Amino acid sequence: MIEMNDSILAVRGLKVDFSTPDGTVEAVKGIDLDVRSGETLAVVGESGSGKSQTMMGIMGLLAKNGTVTGSARYRGKELIGLSPKGLNSVRGSKITMIFQEPMTSLDPLYTIGRQIAEPIVHHRGGTFKEARKRVLELLELVGIPEPGRRIDSYPHELSGGQRQRVMIAMALANEPDILIADEPTTALDVTIQAQILDLLKSLQKRFGMAIVLITHDLGIVKHFADRVAVMRRGEVVEQGTTAEIFERPKADYTKMLLAAEPSGHKAPPADRAPIILEGRDVAVDYTIPGGLFRGASTVFRAVDGVNLRLKQGQTIGIVGESGSGKSTLGRALLRLLPSSGYYRFGTTDISGFDRSAMRPLRRELQLVFQDPYGSLSPRRTVGEIITEGLYVHEPELSRAERDRRAIAALKEVGLDPASRNRYPHEFSGGQRQRIAIARAMILKPKVVILDEPTSALDRSVQGQVIELLRDLQMKHGLSYIFISHDLSVVKAMSDYVIVMKNGRIVEEGETDAIFQAPKEAYTKTLIGAAFNL
Amino acid sequence: MISFILRRLASAVPTLFIVVTISFFLMRFAPGGPFNLERPLPPATMENLMRTYHLDQPLWSQYVTYLSNAVTGDFGPSYIYHDNNVAQLIGKGLPYSMELGFYALILAVVGGVIAGTIAALRQNSFIDFAVMSISTVGVTVPNFVVGPVLTLIFAIMLSWLPAGGWGDGSFRFLILPMIALALPQLAVFARLTRGSMIEALNTDHIRTAKAYGLPSRVVVVTHAMRGALLPVVSYLAPCAAALLTGSAVVETIFTIPGVGRYFVLGAINRDYTLVMGTVILIAIFVIVFNLLVDILYGLLDPRVRHD
Repeated sequence: MIEMNDSILAVRGLKVDFSTPDGTVEAVKGIDLDVRSGETLAVVGESGSGKSQTMMGIMGLLAKNGTVTGSARYRGKELIGLSPKGLNSVRGSKITMIFQEPMTSLDPLYTIGRQIAEPIVHHRGGTFKEARKRVLELLELVGIPEPGRRIDSYPHELSGGQRQRVMIAMALANEPDILIADEPTTALDVTIQAQILDLLKSLQKRFGMAIVLITHDLGIVKHFADRVAVMRRGEVVEQGTTAEIFERPKADYTKMLLAAEPSGHKAPPADRAPIILEGRDVAVDYTIPGGLFRGASTVFRAVDGVNLRLKQGQTIGIVGESGSGKSTLGRALLRLLPSSGYYRFGTTDISGFDRSAMRPLRRELQLVFQDPYGSLSPRRTVGEIITEGLYVHEPELSRAERDRRAIAALKEVGLDPASRNRYPHEFSGGQRQRIAIARAMILKPKVVILDEPTSALDRSVQGQVIELLRDLQMKHGLSYIFISHDLSVVKAMSDYVIVMKNGRIVEEGETDAIFQAPKEAYTKTLIGAAFNL
Repeated sequence: MISFILRRLASAVPTLFIVVTISFFLMRFAPGGPFNLERPLPPATMENLMRTYHLDQPLWSQYVTYLSNAVTGDFGPSYIYHDNNVAQLIGKGLPYSMELGFYALILAVVGGVIAGTIAALRQNSFIDFAVMSISTVGVTVPNFVVGPVLTLIFAIMLSWLPAGGWGDGSFRFLILPMIALALPQLAVFARLTRGSMIEALNTDHIRTAKAYGLPSRVVVVTHAMRGALLPVVSYLAPCAAALLTGSAVVETIFTIPGVGRYFVLGAINRDYTLVMGTVILIAIFVIVFNLLVDILYGLLDPRVRHD
């Protein structure tokens, strides 16, 4: 059981309700939590589990239609029901927060120096000028290079990782007791993630504050937290020390979460398997237009001389951080954007093919996107969405035959065929991704480019989608190009890996070779950051 | 910054040229002319007039003459107001229109922003509802209705304020026309502010400001309002140009000797040069205020750089 003695934040029977046009939604259903002095408590759960809303409720940051009841005592002081003024004496000084999106969490119109100084000035008094020295110290502390110059920068002039460091500096400004980190690294690249977590850890050691880490990423929890509370549907299903939770999980849900880490690997295709898609010297330029008075336009090379050969039945994983050109490469291979180089599909040279020449080949070259919500039309039924390609590629089909194909495709991706008369918003993220996969599969393609197909999904759902993709590959002899920044997923999916940086290939090879014996320093950093935080 | 302003001013020259050219030819292709009166003039008189004003010349040569004169600041004689040329008419009327327009602009911006902010902070409350209803009235009821109603109440029934005229130029004479002129624009500013303020209050960085215990005055004024004012500032340029160059309706109702009337009167009378003069005046105001607003925008939003 939880020991009460050194709890500095005691949450008892906390409830968060949202009133919506469809009635009251109970986001948090009366939970108990304790944060002890100096510890790291991870609150783990998938999206919609109520983990963020718990903290928002305590801090008085709920949306207008939200109400919080129950009790949350910070060092004996009840926070629930406190006036905004009363809360303001605690938030920003004793309890501080950092958020998932460091870009939008900072005000774009003020310098970072001024924003870090604001909580200092408001909680400790003094002027912005006096606070400047402290801000410089803080920037130094969180590892911002050249603090003297950076202090007058605006958020948009910093990288994502630097912005999150600025948020951390702001959080530390008044030497808090508790730092709540709400998915602090989710929006960042893996190597940056590791740096931010290391920074938080070392700062915690130095200042002794407690950290409440809200996350869906169990990899982070294992290396970072002292204790874990697992949340599901607004309830805490299990809590205990990190070792207990990872080694002897009691609740079925925890076991399921732990088992959901993508596993297994794919055997490479036979050596003699024919090459189905090839790109040689692939290069893509983006032009940033000039203007009458703005001078000449500038050219940015997104993909720079990449060679790739995809064999039948093979899965090539393309990994890299944001801006590495991996998605652009995928689109170039499908001839979806202007690019230079030599391209071959099967035995056909498609280098010079324009849109209309490519059209008959499109059914065999399919693309599945990251965002299953944005890529499905909200005003069409699932049946209409997945059969749309059939109208173009097999116009001779009768209505009944199309319907039969839709039913078969939905069954194949593990969805109820009756769902073809419903609309995308009625489905969960994982189901929507299945719909997007069904839309590609109904055309019986040969090559599918999967662009971050699992990145928007929770871990347990990710595992299921990966299984599905592997089954479909086996059954139909498909070839995949799997684009992702998530190395554990790539490891489970692909038999060959290409590592990209700044539009070029840094390293490539068989999956096992890349993951077990990476040669390039960049690959080592990526893998190190992803697997041993 | 300096080079940005110079470049913008340089690009104003072709803009003005195009505006002048299009209006010149459009005017001439419209049927009628300055001397086509209800009772036709004797042909000899007509011919005489046409020759005096060079209207018998080919159109392109009139155009070239007009352009070359306009560059030197000579906008030609008015065909109807014989005592003055166009530059004199505008020069006399413009100070009145600008003074009235300036007060109306201040009232519209300050009143609109305050009303919109209050409505956004009390979203869906009675105050919000009241502000939005009044602003709907402000937009939909034309100022030729608002003007006389104001005169009826405050000048005739209550006798608080003069019913019209410029008088000695004291502020009392300006209050009613200022309100009539400002009201529709105030309503637009209130709606714009409310919308962008509601959006601004829901952003992540406002959540951050609250999470750091900043007083709500700081959250609203320092963080939400500055961002929310950006779209409002964009509307400032066309609004300022419209208000400062006078309104035909308001100036007629309140008998203000401004330039607003000339545009309409000129168009009705086919007073070619007077219409051209007012068109150029408005175009210059629009160009200058767009430039000022862009500079202001750059000062408000560091992501917009003018270099």
